[in-house]
Amino acid sequence: MIETKNLSKIYNPGKFEVKAVNDVSSIFEDGEFTSVVGPSGSGKTTFLNCVGGLDKPTSGDVYISGENITSLSGNDIIQYRLKNIGFVFQAYNLIPVLSARENIEMIMLLQGIHEKNRVERTNELLNQVGLYEMSDRRPSELSGGQQQRVAVARALASKPKFILADEPTANLDTSSTSNLLDIMSKLNVNEKITFIFSTHDQRVIDRARRVITLEDGKIVSDKKK
Amino acid sequence: MILKIALRNIYRNKKRSLITISSIFAALLLIVLMRALQFGFYDKLIETVVESYAGYVEIHADGFWDNQSLDNSMVVDQNLMDDLKSVEGVDNIVQRLQTFSLISMGDKTKGGVINGINIKEEQKITDWNKKMVSGSFDLGEDEVIIGKGIAKYFDVVENDTLILYGQGYRGMMAAGKFPIKGIIDLKNPDLNKLGVFMNMETARNYVSSDEISTHIIIDKKQYYDEEKIANDLSQILSDDFEVMTWKQTLPEIEQTITADSAGGLIMAFILYVIVVFGMFGTVLMMTEERKYEFGVLISIGMSRVRLFGIILVETIILSMIGVVIAILITYPISYYYYLNPINMANLMGDGADMMMEEMGFSPIAPMSISWDIPLSHALVIFIFSLIISIYPAIKIMKLDPVKSMKA
Repeated sequence: MIETKNLSKIYNPGKFEVKAVNDVSSIFEDGEFTSVVGPSGSGKTTFLNCVGGLDKPTSGDVYISGENITSLSGNDIIQYRLKNIGFVFQAYNLIPVLSARENIEMIMLLQGIHEKNRVERTNELLNQVGLYEMSDRRPSELSGGQQQRVAVARALASKPKFILADEPTANLDTSSTSNLLDIMSKLNVNEKITFIFSTHDQRVIDRARRVITLEDGKIVSDKKK
Repeated sequence: MILKIALRNIYRNKKRSLITISSIFAALLLIVLMRALQFGFYDKLIETVVESYAGYVEIHADGFWDNQSLDNSMVVDQNLMDDLKSVEGVDNIVQRLQTFSLISMGDKTKGGVINGINIKEEQKITDWNKKMVSGSFDLGEDEVIIGKGIAKYFDVVENDTLILYGQGYRGMMAAGKFPIKGIIDLKNPDLNKLGVFMNMETARNYVSSDEISTHIIIDKKQYYDEEKIANDLSQILSDDFEVMTWKQTLPEIEQTITADSAGGLIMAFILYVIVVFGMFGTVLMMTEERKYEFGVLISIGMSRVRLFGIILVETIILSMIGVVIAILITYPISYYYYLNPINMANLMGDGADMMMEEMGFSPIAPMSISWDIPLSHALVIFIFSLIISIYPAIKIMKLDPVKSMKA
């Protein structure tokens, strides 16, 4: 379970301060498939970054499975993210010099997983996202949709309980979006992985079982389907 | 994985990598060749000086160097010689008996240095036999070879006779008439004006002692360090002896080399500044360009230390490629010019060879093939790579992944 308590992120405190996230308290149960929506500048990405420990909140706390991750710093938070949270970014953010297979494998390498297990898991993930045949291609040799599927596989590599996806379909066409959402839905249902998306995309919102709407950094609605 | 990412990043930006490698290679090529030529010239200079007179290492009775009197001479027995020969790096050993005397002929008199030498053994260390202007180096009893400066002063030729007059061992009078067997050009104006050579037996008779020597001259095997040999010799000798290297007996040569080498080091420093700025520019651009990528790597769980490791490996690989290519190219060049030395006289123009030879220098300058030169400079480049890597290290340690991914 992820819980945020009075979470705030203020940029330029004092002069010209911008409250990107403003006193947000919320709970995400295990196995949720949730979209965080809202207009541009509503604080979706900042909220997700704070939840995932990428960004340090100005105030408030984030508890993941009971552990307050806002108290972690330096290498501890990096290690926490590595083991517990998978990220999927709008711009895919794959390492350009590594192949699809190596991008996925790198996460497990960072975790010190044995080569045999790494290869098995990578093959499994590549099959899950339907890219086994293209495993040796570099990101520049893959389409946007294929790159995002590699990014999802990479996020899953460490077998995280939570995947935070920041506008994962923003750069994808309809077919790629549908394909990606199918994959993520399947993982959510079959492997009980919690997905939290920030998105503008109605196709994603339609698939989500819970939709949280942010405006000016505050939750203005929280609907479960 | 770090190595793989580093190598692929180097390959990713081929042009920049090539420019960096080329700048390191070009600078190191110039530095190594310049130093090889410089050190080759020094080696030749030392060899020339050592072969002219002094040995790489000299042994005297303790106190002789400060008070060069026959009273500070020594008796050298076979056991001592055997002990000296047992030291690693020691090649040939000769004894000399050296004393100051007046040289006289007609109404002219001047001071000179009498050198009692073992003709056969001496030829293994010095090249005096090749420097005879007239007559023969094959000295008989009561004969002398004199420097061409002395011959000029007294206006004497082969078979003329000189009178030597001085102090012998323990206050004895030393005097005698000595026919001139030959005239030698030692390629050193001072030695030519002072040097008188006779065989050891004649010299000992002259000073009235049949067993003393003043110098033990030691020649070293190639590539052995004379300082180490001197140190090893000191260990096996009693306090009755003093051991000196040519650096102590000929400090002016050491000072000349040090002063000239400093010029080479300044040039090397200028080239290093160029290389370091080139490398730093590359690292600076690479760090700025890849901030986004660094942010991604940190956000997906790569530790900052590991990320720094990638940059460090990239910098070291780039510099080492330049270094290895430079060594692979400079070493054969140095080796070629070691076997086929450069004639400095040809470079300096007509008459330069005569001028240099008059000064006692060989105009032939082989390049040094000592591995110390390329390896020491490779080490300097390696250290600079580490220092340059401090910049990306600081940037990575301070990097905010969210901000860098927004850039």
